[in-house]
Amino acid sequence: MIPVFLAGLASSQAGWLAARQTAIASNVANANTPGYQVRDVTPFSAVLENASLSMAATNSAHMDPTGGLAPTQKVSKSESWDVFHSGNSVALEQEMMKAGEVNQSYALNTAIVKSFFRMVSMSAR
Amino acid sequence: MSMIDPIKASMAIAGSGLEAQSARLRVVSENIANAESTGLVGGSDPYRRRTITFDNVMSRAEGVKVVRVKDLGVDQAPFRLEYEPGHQAADEKGNVKHPNVNVLVEMSDMRETNRSYEANLQIFKQARAMAAMTIDLLKGSSS
Repeated sequence: MIPVFLAGLASSQAGWLAARQTAIASNVANANTPGYQVRDVTPFSAVLENASLSMAATNSAHMDPTGGLAPTQKVSKSESWDVFHSGNSVALEQEMMKAGEVNQSYALNTAIVKSFFRMVSMSAR
Repeated sequence: MSMIDPIKASMAIAGSGLEAQSARLRVVSENIANAESTGLVGGSDPYRRRTITFDNVMSRAEGVKVVRVKDLGVDQAPFRLEYEPGHQAADEKGNVKHPNVNVLVEMSDMRETNRSYEANLQIFKQARAMAAMTIDLLKGSSS
């Protein structure tokens, strides 16, 4: 049986969802910025499979290249619903849909964590 | 300060979007209000349509990339000429220069501004809901 580290898994998914919400917030805020291209985080399954290597900060003066947030990539224009004449590829409806997905997954995540801890505290009683 | 909680970052970004769109709405309202503002003396220039553009910039305070007003400019399109000899701003031929504001364009700009503002507000509300769900984890485990 493969052990499942539920608390760790749930917390890394919550972190990924929060990072995705930030990427979506940035897309929506730049819906009218000329030349802005839609960005998104790497899918969670890919994040789980290859926890990508990042440079170790061995000194407090070392800079974190990602600024402490999960890295994002530009989404190709063919995947976006609209591309505007100004070179902007933000489709607000698409972003709203993504934000809805994130919110639902976050609600599910916190509900699972809650019930998991309820189970733990029940057995510990 | 480079580390910031992603949910707080979402709120900061959505907030910057709200601010940018309200600045845009201010420019649109200025254009609509001055759609018929002609000059005061014969042959003088009327109100010139103002424009606004945005840019995605790094905010040092929050450590995230936010949207800011890049430039407030003026539209160089030609003025609309109308023959009104009795007008105070009429030139020697009786033509009056009217502002280069097209109210229809301004109205569609206003609708777009409104839509973008609402989208930013929605993102802000969702980020707030996510923060509330996280805090609720603490409440749930004690009862």
